[in-house]
Amino acid sequence: MTIADLNNGDAFKVKRVVLGREIGKRLADMGFVPGAAGKVVRSALLGDPLQVKICYYDISLRRKEASGVEIEPEGSQPSGMSKLGKRGGGG
Amino acid sequence: MSKVITIALAGNPNTGKTSLFNAITGSHQKVGNYAGVTVEKREGVRLYRGYEFRVFDLPGIYSLTAYSLDEVVARDFIIDEKPDLVVDVIDSTNIERNLYLCLQFQELRVPIVAALNLDDEAAGRGIRIDDKRLSEILRMPVVRTVGVKGYGVEWLLDRAIQVFETKSPTDYPVSYGAELEDTVGSILRELQRDAAFAGKYPMHWFAVKLLEKDARAIELLSGHRQADAVKKVVCDCIRKIEEHFGRDAAVVVAEQRYGYIHGAVAEAVRREPLGRETVTEVFDKFLLDRFLGLPVFLLILWLMFQITFKIGAYPMGWLEAFFSGLGAWVSAIMPAGLLRSLLVDGVIAGVGGVTSFVPLIILLFLFISILEDSGYMARSAFIMDKFLHVFGLHGQSFLPMIIGFGCSVPAVMAARTLKNTRDRIITVMVMPFMSCGAKLPVHVLLAGAFFGAHAGSVVLSIYIIGVALALFSSLLFRATVLRGESTPFVMELPPYRMPTLKGILWHVTDKTTRYLQKAGMVLLPASVLIWALTTFPKMPADPAGDVILLGSLRSQIEQDKLPGSGVAVEEMRLSAEARQRLAEMRSREALAFSYAGRMGKAMEPLLSPLGFDWKIGISAVTGLAAKEMVVSTLGVLYKVGAVDRHKGESLREALRKDPVFTPLVAYVLMLFTLIVVPCLASLSAMYAEIGWRWVAFAVCYWSVLAWVLCFLVYQGGRMMGWGL
Repeated sequence: MTIADLNNGDAFKVKRVVLGREIGKRLADMGFVPGAAGKVVRSALLGDPLQVKICYYDISLRRKEASGVEIEPEGSQPSGMSKLGKRGGGG
Repeated sequence: MSKVITIALAGNPNTGKTSLFNAITGSHQKVGNYAGVTVEKREGVRLYRGYEFRVFDLPGIYSLTAYSLDEVVARDFIIDEKPDLVVDVIDSTNIERNLYLCLQFQELRVPIVAALNLDDEAAGRGIRIDDKRLSEILRMPVVRTVGVKGYGVEWLLDRAIQVFETKSPTDYPVSYGAELEDTVGSILRELQRDAAFAGKYPMHWFAVKLLEKDARAIELLSGHRQADAVKKVVCDCIRKIEEHFGRDAAVVVAEQRYGYIHGAVAEAVRREPLGRETVTEVFDKFLLDRFLGLPVFLLILWLMFQITFKIGAYPMGWLEAFFSGLGAWVSAIMPAGLLRSLLVDGVIAGVGGVTSFVPLIILLFLFISILEDSGYMARSAFIMDKFLHVFGLHGQSFLPMIIGFGCSVPAVMAARTLKNTRDRIITVMVMPFMSCGAKLPVHVLLAGAFFGAHAGSVVLSIYIIGVALALFSSLLFRATVLRGESTPFVMELPPYRMPTLKGILWHVTDKTTRYLQKAGMVLLPASVLIWALTTFPKMPADPAGDVILLGSLRSQIEQDKLPGSGVAVEEMRLSAEARQRLAEMRSREALAFSYAGRMGKAMEPLLSPLGFDWKIGISAVTGLAAKEMVVSTLGVLYKVGAVDRHKGESLREALRKDPVFTPLVAYVLMLFTLIVVPCLASLSAMYAEIGWRWVAFAVCYWSVLAWVLCFLVYQGGRMMGWGL
């Protein structure tokens, strides 16, 4: 499961960055490292890019990059249903 | 003699680094560029306790990879210039990510003083940092500062003196964990076989960079005597790490750094839960709302535009009036001749041209720095990114492009917010297609003369074509000359902060002086060049011809006027008008005779397939100086004298009478003005941002595109029978 699969408001813990090369390195530089806690805050008008909270600050990612960060969802929403991010339509 | 301490001021973007720099150095600053690149180099001096501090403000960066030019510049500065120490500015509200950069300076084995900036803001957010503990763990001095208020600056300098005088050891305790240190060790052994090479760079750092597959480090490695052997070891190590950790080695190194930081932060930093939303979260709810975000952004843009160009028109008018007054005054006190002409039409007109943009630049950058310093700029890119990404542009391209509708000069300067070189080049190269304010008089004149009631929609169609061309060209560049993976949109959304008056004024003065320096250097000589092209060679004087012409003009005027008015024209007015007509006729001939005129005529074979004659060719040449010159040149060529005196009506009349001009040709000329090479002021701004190679490329691109498109429209239109 990756950040791109989450709904707005969902919290997560980073498992690992699977993207290689410059962009994977950049994500790691910016704090997407195993164990880091984060949250998808919202998405822009057409569902892309995403505003993500990581390591106590906000960052914006396109879904393409967000799908390169594997995560463990954290139970922030009590409903707990496995709803894969269809909202926003982007992908 | 005071001792000199050189300081590199480094830190993440949005840490208040610039305000701290200003607080340290006051107004003793110098701005330049790092050799060969468009990254700004700021340098300031401060005298304190008998020491002379030379402070270099490095660009704001997150890491020391080869990811962006800014990072390469910062790291080369540390390695090549060997500053006495680095002051690393840390945003106390976001200490983990900020320490990540700090750690990399430690790896470079350079003495560091850490400035925990924005201390007040961190306290307000319930973040308690035990600076003594942090300093012990990281083994470097830590000082609390609030740059905006100038708080902590002297402590910072005191610590800097201390570090400088005691030559603090720089064997920082950075460790990457056992597995990684093993591999770093074996690379290190290999590297040290070339002692000369090992003396050049901090070797432990270099070994880590090789593990990170850093492009610059690999490049530098070719200077090693046994580069191939080292490379082989590095490849083995990378493979080993990637097998062990199951992911990219560069990512592993970053993870290990964060691991070390998390350990330090856990001991020295306490975060008390706030229990309420931060101001930023509340603002974001409204400003980044899925549906409200876009209209709010457009409203802000609209206001910015209205205010800038409505209010800016007044000082622009005053400056223009001042310089034309100055020109008139010089004409009055100097004898007629070449020198006067050079001064009035070349130098004064040129200086006037440069300065007339200043009010616009001041106002626009006032708004831009408010947007930037408040944290909204990054949000606007967030809102717009999806729309622009489709065309290979970046969210941050949007604002400069919108400014381009007003004036390309500040627009091109605003493109500097784009950190990626490729994005910046594309944005700058498509900028002229955003039809600027100076092109509007051309559109209005031609549309007004030939399209009557439909003039408005015709002008609108030109704007739409411009936007379409900008998007098309950007796609084209992305697919050809600026190919490559699209820039990832990994962008910090910094907390909203109240912009300070000091900060804004500083930004505005900075941009304005930079504009005056750069534009002045290119624009003034260019203005003199255009003057020379339109002045030389001189037409031989022809007094006998003048007398004959004057006579025939007089009788012509008499004939024109008598039947209509039925009143005899006074002798005085008659001869005055005849003289004026003669002067206009002669200046028209002189223009046709000049190099510019000859260039126009020489271009005629090239331009006739577009329906243009040599007169339009001349206008294209003078339009280089400023786009509204197209109108005034046409004015001279169509016997109507200076256009402003006649309110354009007579020029419209004259254009309609010329058989060359049809509605089709008028439309093609509007298109041509839109697409062809922009004015020299914007070219010089572009040169400052993207360098002459890309400007030269762009000039060719615009010219070819203008010709091809105008050819297609003109010939196509004729085939449809529109141009008859």
